[in-house]
Amino acid sequence: MKEFTPADASLLELVDRLLHKGVVLAGEATISVAGVDLIYLGLNVVLAAVETLERAERRAS
Amino acid sequence: MTLVAHAVARAPRPAVETRGLRDRPLVWSEIDGIGVWSTDWDSAMTFETADLMEHHRVVERLCAAETCLPMRFGTVFASDEGARAALLPRTAELREALERVAGKSELAVTLLWKEHPAPARTPAEGFGPGTQFMKERGAAYRAQEAERARAAELAGSLIAELAAEQPLVWHETCTTPHVAVSLAVLTPSERALERKRELEALVSRFVDVAGVVSGPWPPYSFARVR
Repeated sequence: MKEFTPADASLLELVDRLLHKGVVLAGEATISVAGVDLIYLGLNVVLAAVETLERAERRAS
Repeated sequence: MTLVAHAVARAPRPAVETRGLRDRPLVWSEIDGIGVWSTDWDSAMTFETADLMEHHRVVERLCAAETCLPMRFGTVFASDEGARAALLPRTAELREALERVAGKSELAVTLLWKEHPAPARTPAEGFGPGTQFMKERGAAYRAQEAERARAAELAGSLIAELAAEQPLVWHETCTTPHVAVSLAVLTPSERALERKRELEALVSRFVDVAGVVSGPWPPYSFARVR
């Protein structure tokens, strides 16, 4: 398993807030992103960010 | 017309220059002294992951201009009338929440386990595989309970240090295998960076966890209305 870095933690906290916190009003619709249910999106965003960081590290080395 | 909601603010319409997702126009829907900012969205377009972070940037810009309550990402209204109808039954609660977050920003404190050892395999000489399995399961359970107890202890000591903000602190423990404590604190915006440095110094004292302090952000964790 990939090591969980402070940058991952920060991103995970932000994504968690965007998807699970904030004002919820009755009668609203919650939709998916590019066909992915929002509940799963957070993890995908973090994984994508980790991959981006890894690519950047490989380019730098 | 489809509206993608970003943030709630007090009427009259605050003066903001910012644009919405993908540089589309922002729309202000107002009723009974409360309004919501949304992107005028094309219902044929699907959201991409980048829109999630763009929503955060739009909310940041709106909150920098005026006290706002961030809306949960993915909230859409079919029309301006739909947005106003959703606001109407909650205007009193929204006003109360706006007062609670006025002039404040959110900081996030995450405590990550430095080591996350697998439970030791207990040699069980003379026992069959079933007993061995049960002993290992028992050891794993005890390790998990010890981790939970330590996380609660860490959260307690952090909250004790946040005495001034105690009514404005929210936390969870053991949210993922890596995270011991996830805590949010609402702090005056003008002191947010100073408070962030103080919190970084505070969490650096813990030996078994690495502390990460993130933000300041809009008050996402404190925007809920009952």
